[in-house]
Amino acid sequence: MKKHFLAALLAALGSVGFSVASQAQQDFAAGEIRSLQVRDNVYMLVGAGGNITMQVKDEGILLVDTQFAPLSEKIVAAIRKISDKPIHYIVNTHHHGDHTGGNANLRAVGTTVSGGNMAGAIRDSGVGAAIVAHENVLLRLSSATGPQAVPSGGWPTSTFFGKKKELYYNDEGIEIIHVPAAHTDGDSIVFFRQSDVISAGDVFGTTSYPVIDIPGGGSYAGIVSALERLVDIIIPVYGQDGGTLVIPGHGRLSNLGDVLNYREMVIVVRDRMQGMIDAGMTLEQVKAAKPTQDYDPVYGSTTGFWTTDRFIEAAYRSLSNPPEDAP
Amino acid sequence: MRAFRALQSGGRLVFVAAALLSGQAFGQSTFAGVWNAGYFEDWPDRFPGPELGDYAGLPLNASDRARASSWNATILSLPDYQCRVHPSDYANSFADIRMWHEIDTKTQQLVAIHLQHFAWSTQRTFWMDSRPHPPEFAEHTSMGFSTGEWVGNNLKVTTTHLKEGWLRRNGVARSDAATVTEHFVRHGNHLTWNVFVQDAKYLEEPFFRNRDYTLAETGAIGAYPCESVVEVLLPEEGYFPHYLPGENPFLIEYARNHKIPSEAAMGGAATMYPEYKKKLAALPQP
Amino acid sequence: MKTVRRYPLVVAAVVATTALSALLVSPSSAQPRPAQPPRSARESAPIDLTGQWVSIVTEDWRFRMVTPPQGDYPGAAMTPAGAAIAAAWDPAKDEAAGNECKAYGAAAIMRVPGRVRISWRDDSTLEIQTDAGRQVRTLHFGNVAVAAEATWQGVSRAAWIPHGGGFGRPVTNGSLKVVTTQMREGYLRKNGVPYSASTVLTEYFDILAEPDGSQWLVVKSIVEDPTYHTAPPITSSNFRKQPDRSGWDPQPCLAR
Repeated sequence: MKKHFLAALLAALGSVGFSVASQAQQDFAAGEIRSLQVRDNVYMLVGAGGNITMQVKDEGILLVDTQFAPLSEKIVAAIRKISDKPIHYIVNTHHHGDHTGGNANLRAVGTTVSGGNMAGAIRDSGVGAAIVAHENVLLRLSSATGPQAVPSGGWPTSTFFGKKKELYYNDEGIEIIHVPAAHTDGDSIVFFRQSDVISAGDVFGTTSYPVIDIPGGGSYAGIVSALERLVDIIIPVYGQDGGTLVIPGHGRLSNLGDVLNYREMVIVVRDRMQGMIDAGMTLEQVKAAKPTQDYDPVYGSTTGFWTTDRFIEAAYRSLSNPPEDAP
Repeated sequence: MRAFRALQSGGRLVFVAAALLSGQAFGQSTFAGVWNAGYFEDWPDRFPGPELGDYAGLPLNASDRARASSWNATILSLPDYQCRVHPSDYANSFADIRMWHEIDTKTQQLVAIHLQHFAWSTQRTFWMDSRPHPPEFAEHTSMGFSTGEWVGNNLKVTTTHLKEGWLRRNGVARSDAATVTEHFVRHGNHLTWNVFVQDAKYLEEPFFRNRDYTLAETGAIGAYPCESVVEVLLPEEGYFPHYLPGENPFLIEYARNHKIPSEAAMGGAATMYPEYKKKLAALPQP
Repeated sequence: MKTVRRYPLVVAAVVATTALSALLVSPSSAQPRPAQPPRSARESAPIDLTGQWVSIVTEDWRFRMVTPPQGDYPGAAMTPAGAAIAAAWDPAKDEAAGNECKAYGAAAIMRVPGRVRISWRDDSTLEIQTDAGRQVRTLHFGNVAVAAEATWQGVSRAAWIPHGGGFGRPVTNGSLKVVTTQMREGYLRKNGVPYSASTVLTEYFDILAEPDGSQWLVVKSIVEDPTYHTAPPITSSNFRKQPDRSGWDPQPCLAR
């Protein structure tokens, strides 16, 4: 038991390192939060961290993710430009700090809803918004210690295991769908059924190669599976445009065409690297073969947190030793 | 009384003259109508479609060449790709178009010019009211977001927010970071649609190409319904058809069929310039 | 008032004309101006075509950068007479007859990859030199005499098409229209796609400015030749302006 706990703790530390490293490179003083109306009741908030989804209507506000803590004041200001309704729910797509760093702050300015299918204890009323996530998000956040510790005010207050959790809020059904062992082991994509918008978290983005947090339970196979799940849900208006819109973890508002293009890259690179791995090539040999050459101008980077090299290293490791619970 | 009426007539004449002078559309072209595409230029590329491995005359860089070389036409059998439309900067390579002007009936100001392609019934809007383009994180679409302005009688259109597309429909990609500038030039019943693509991610130099149209005296463009169906049983998940590097057996097709050196067939900015003719003579035949 | 009663229409016209003049004439030019001589073609040019331009070959690449084999002319809608000419193409015969320049005539030369230099020979004559085939085209503004015999470049009559102008409005852009006749029979494509001696070639020269600062010359060619074509072959050939005169490489006509 102790051995397993230590392994999980080390993995959690390594995984939280993903978000600490990305936070370390940000200049928050200069950062601004910009908003884009996606649908009547859904907005996308863009800043230094991961994209925030804001659903708002008569009942109140539901947020998906909360970016970094130093940006909370600016995030609240951006929210208040749109609505002065109370924040009732925060849904986390995964545990990384660029998506959960503002949990405690934004929870504190919110209020708890009691009743319905999300009934909380009456004594919780008034202590802030509910934070909903897969239980692995709670495990990761609560396991971090030392300088990487996450205050308990930022931990999920309502977790689920299994395939999904459902909400009904602001006149629409909301599915919080767990996509296992993808970017991390706690990923969820959030589908707003009436608004026809998906918050994809970091299983999809338009700015980099997929970030595979192996210590955090992520896997290449899980990324592929998560993307297939996204494609299944999306129905475009015509020709891969419009219809179901996707708010990625990072990058621009997207549609089916963007998800398919990203999926194409993920699968093509996987096939190339898998062939090289099966042929016994070392990591250095694989890098020299440039398996990502044609996608580098779009997704690659030689600087910053997630470089092309780092992606190839993670992909190599994951494809060479796929986790047992990978889809 | 006659004097008064004479003065009134003079006043009306002035009014009419001033009204004629005040029109913002004075001197600008109208593009309204159905335009038939001419195919004397690039017929094989546009109608039957480009051959595999034909990138000659395209200023693609090494990354785009690698991308094109892995392209597999089986993509078009995937249900999600069957109705994927031509992006707006490629759509003029195929079939007729219809254009119309949108006028504010109260002010008679030109609000927008619309263009519909026969191909996939896609529609574009060129906003003529100086509105700004959306922020960079707004949705990118196959048609992009376009604003227009007059340069004399010519219509200049700037398009951003394009989704990834293609310069040639044999896999030569155009990235989602491109900006496209178009000039619509009308002479009588002839229209030249000029397209200038700036794409630093996939091109060594900007790409310039144009297509010619003739105004149709009668007719309309047809509808283009498209419905995805399963044509061939393919794996449903985790599958995307492509060729691994070095394993595309068809890349030599164009060069061999037309006795063009392989290096030339692989394109690049140098192949656009007249001095390349001299180099061609010295290159080995396939 | 007596005048108004007797000549109401005249008075109305005077009122209107006076008011129109007030609309059109700025205060600074209210004084009557002396008669101006008509401006020359060079002076009235709405666009500047002069300079050196280089072909950018992104279209019809395998018909322009190499000589395609006989029979390879997709997109050319020829009459039976035209198809027969194309089928009989023999570059050796053209060389023997001194017709190496058959694919460098006015109807085709702007499509041949190369560089062109455009300059004013005089105030009413534009000259286009090509390094491909070492051809010279002369574009005449105004009257031009009928040529004694047909030539590869024919006789070209040019006129500006200003955009704007009239009613005191400024000219903001323009095009050049050129109509060429009296050409010798030639080839639109190197492998024998013909045009006849009765062809009327209409061209439009336009300059487009792109966001990267480059200037492009687009020459639209409409070849009206019912003898050899069931529909006019129409092409638009593209040139980018060079900042200098580098790359100029005069080469003779080649039949192959």
